Order: sequence, then C-alpha cells, then structure tokens
Amino acid sequence: MIRFDDVTKTYDPTSQPALDAVSLDIDRGEFVFLVGASGSGKSTFIRLVLKEDRASRGAVYVAGQNVANIPSWRVPRLRRGIGVVFQDFRLLPNKTVFANVAFAMQVIGRSRAVIRETVPDVLATVGLEGKDNRMPHELSGGEQQRVAIARAIVNRPGILLADEPTGNLDPTTSMGIMKILDTINQNGTTVVMATHDDDIVNTMRKRVVELRGGSVVRDDAQGIYAGRPEAMAG
Amino acid sequence: MRVAFILSEIGSGIRRNLSMVTSVILVTFISLTFVGAAGLFQLQINQMKGYWYDRVQVTIYLCVDNSSEASCAAGPVTEDQRAAIEARLESDQFAPYVDTVTHETQEEALVHFRDQFANSPIVDSVTAEQLPESFRVSLVDAEKYEVIDEAFSSEPGVDAVSDQRDFLEAIFRYMNWASVVALAIAGIMTFCAILLIATTIRLSAFSRRRETGIMRLVGASKAIIQLPFILEGVIAAVIGAVLASATLWGASRFLIDGWLVNTFPQTAFISSQQVLLLVPVLILLGALLAGISSLLTLRRYVKV
Repeated sequence: MIRFDDVTKTYDPTSQPALDAVSLDIDRGEFVFLVGASGSGKSTFIRLVLKEDRASRGAVYVAGQNVANIPSWRVPRLRRGIGVVFQDFRLLPNKTVFANVAFAMQVIGRSRAVIRETVPDVLATVGLEGKDNRMPHELSGGEQQRVAIARAIVNRPGILLADEPTGNLDPTTSMGIMKILDTINQNGTTVVMATHDDDIVNTMRKRVVELRGGSVVRDDAQGIYAGRPEAMAG
Repeated sequence: MRVAFILSEIGSGIRRNLSMVTSVILVTFISLTFVGAAGLFQLQINQMKGYWYDRVQVTIYLCVDNSSEASCAAGPVTEDQRAAIEARLESDQFAPYVDTVTHETQEEALVHFRDQFANSPIVDSVTAEQLPESFRVSLVDAEKYEVIDEAFSSEPGVDAVSDQRDFLEAIFRYMNWASVVALAIAGIMTFCAILLIATTIRLSAFSRRRETGIMRLVGASKAIIQLPFILEGVIAAVIGAVLASATLWGASRFLIDGWLVNTFPQTAFISSQQVLLLVPVLILLGALLAGISSLLTLRRYVKV
C-alpha cells in the first residue's frame, strides 16, 4: 500500500537529511507504529506519503503509484485516498460535530443526501452518537479526536495516517482512541501511526518501525516500543 | 452541492472580511468611474468630430476698408476681384474639392453676427462695413482644406482663409486632455484597487487557513479551494463596477440630457443611452481586475 524505495529527503543541503535512504514496505490492511524521537523523520515520512513534499532521492509509492509521477491536478485524488489525523485535532471551531465531518464530504462534492446518510454512521463508528450538534469546544479532548478521526475516514480512504493522535490525551482516553483505530484497521484500512506513547505500542503488539536520524533502525513484526533510552527521550 | 458549498464559503468569507470587501467595492467604484469618464470623453469627441467635420466650411474673407493684411493693401475688394475668385472656385480645377459655394455680403454677415451675439451689447456698435464679406465654401472632403488655403490666401482681394476646424481641434485637444487626466486617475485608482484586492484576499486566506488546510488534506480540488476567494474579490469588484455605471449614467442624465443639451442646442452630445454601452465593459473590467489579482495572490498565499 505504501512503499518507500531508498528514499532520501533533504530539506537543507548543509545539514543531515530528514530521511536517509529509507526503504519500507507497508501492505494493505497493516497496522504500523512509526516510533522514534522528535526529528527522527516521522513527520517527513507522512508528508512524503501525502505528496506535501517531494523525495530528494528514491521513490515513494502509494497504492502502487509513484507519487512523483502524479501531476499536481491529480494530487487531490491521491489525498482523498488517505485520511490524516493530528495531535491537535484541527477541527473547525465554528462548526458543529456533524458539520466538521460533513465538511470533508462537501469539499469533494458529495451530495447532501449522501452526506446525511454517511455522517451519522461514521459518528457511530467513533462512538459519538447523539453528539452531532455539539460544538468542538463543548467536547473533551478524546471526543474532539474522535471527530477528527471521523472526518479522516468519512470518505473511506484506503490509508489512515495518524501523527501522534494521542499526544494530547490521557492514557485512558488514548486507549479509547486506539480501539477505534484498531476497528478501522480491522475494516481493511491501512493504518500508519506515528507515536511517542510506549504504553500504547506495547499494548497493541503491532508492527513497529523505529526511525533514528532519518534511518530505519528497527522493524519488528509484533514489536514493543523498545527500551533504548534515547528513543524514549523525545 | 458544490455550488451551494462555494456560495456559503463566499458568504462567510465576505462576512468575516466585511470592511475590506467594502473598501474593495469603493476603490473599484472610483477607479471604474474614472475609466468610464475617460471613455465618455472619447465617445463625445468622436460624436462631435463626426457631426462637425461634415459641416465644416472654409471661409474666404474678402478685404474691407479696415483690413490689415498685406494682401489687402490695395483697399477693399473690387467687383472684378470678387468675380475672379468666384469663377476660380467654381472652375473645373477645384470641382473635385468644392461642394458648394455661397457668397455672404456684409449685410448678411451683420445679420449672422447679430444672431450669434444676440445677448451681447457689442451688437449695437457693429456696423455692416466693419464685417468682411466672404465666400463660404463647403468641401467634398473636409481634410482637403489646405488646397483651398494655398490657392486663395494670396489671391488679390482675399483677406484671409480660415477653417473652422482650427477652432474645433482646440476644443478636441482640451477634451482629449480631460480624458487623459481621467485615464491617469483611473490608472492610479486601478493600481490601488489591485493592491487592495490582493491584501483583502491575503487576509481572507489567512483567516480561513484552517479550512483550506483541511480542504487540502481531504483532497478538495484546487478550484474548490480557490474559487471562493476569487469570487469574493470578483463579486466586490462587480458591485463597484455597477455603482460606477450607475454614477456615470446618473451624471450623464443630469449633466448632458438635463443641462448641456438645452444650453447648447447646436452641439451633438452623447446620450445617456450610449453610457449604457459602457456598462458591460466596466463590469467585465472589474471582474477581470479582481480575478487576475486574486489569482496571483492565491498562488502565493494559499497552498494547494
């Protein structure tokens, strides 16, 4: 589903590359944790998948397609196939829960009828039944992140990228979020989650890819967060 | 759905940015009013040229007692000289240029003079002897005035050859200047409008960066992301253009139809109907202005 083929990304030619000759293959339906300290290249990885940046060297394949060959007018189509969730939720503060999720469908031209049918289903999937008309500031952090997840998956993307989705949440709430991500994964969506949270990684027992200084230093099929102190530091 | 979505985005954009949008409306209003005024001056010049150049006559003034020209040193024109001039004007040599020739005697000149200056006190002090008699020559082609001037200005008995176009061209020069000035003001105001539209779009883009960021992430097309901004500017500019059109139309009704036409019944003025011809031009101009400047701004400030 996502393949990095000897990918190097250099932002500033005088300093060390953000990603250094990374080769990685993530299959359809996999659940992968991307761990590593701040600056280890996790965010760059996500940006490259979204074609927010171009690889300096090597090729990034998403759903079998080399993203470098996607013309700029087709990039929106690439992004429709990828849902993204962030640490800071990024909800629209002046829109209700329903409107926040519906927004993702409106902007790609879905009809009102389809939206009215789909959004409540997705809100149910993330456990927010009956909160359609709440405003984001009336919700807890965990609930806000659920809205963000609902928005990310409402267009049924094949890939869900989560950039530290539990970074602002307490452990109990975080586990709730992980359950939702797991359910989404079990429904066939490939999930890539960048995280610092060792509890979550150790509990989930999924594939763990560890980045350090832009290189993959570990790729365990059912890994743990790893006991290395420098990895814990970030 | 998309149309409704874009409309609601435009609505929220304008509401958030109301003061900037208002200033865009006002600046485009002023700039397009001057553009339109320059256009109206040009229309008026063309109208008058068309009207007057068909009626322009060359006047050959004949010597009278008090003529000061060298060619009149011999005293007032004689019967023979007058006959010779008339014969030459009607000869085959000038047939291709001359349409009609009429002779105006000193008495007739006095009558015309009194008509023309009916309200002026000098009428009473002027006598027929002080006014020159003349040949009024209307030309086949008004541009060929030089031919008559060269042939007759040194003819014995001729005081001067004058062409009304000299006088008209002075008027047209002034009107041209006025239209150039209007155009210069329009240029400056248009420049202001472009900068202001760019700033407005920038502010609007900044205040909606959350929305546009999310739109990009979920795969909204470039058109859906940018169109609300562009249309926001275009709508403001078109409102400005409509105001400018209304102002020009109102001014022409009031000034031309209501005043100039009655005050100068001899002159051909453009009608307020012709002002309506400018309306689509101004609206198109406003829309283009806003469209292009917002497109250029968006390329810098809204990542797609």
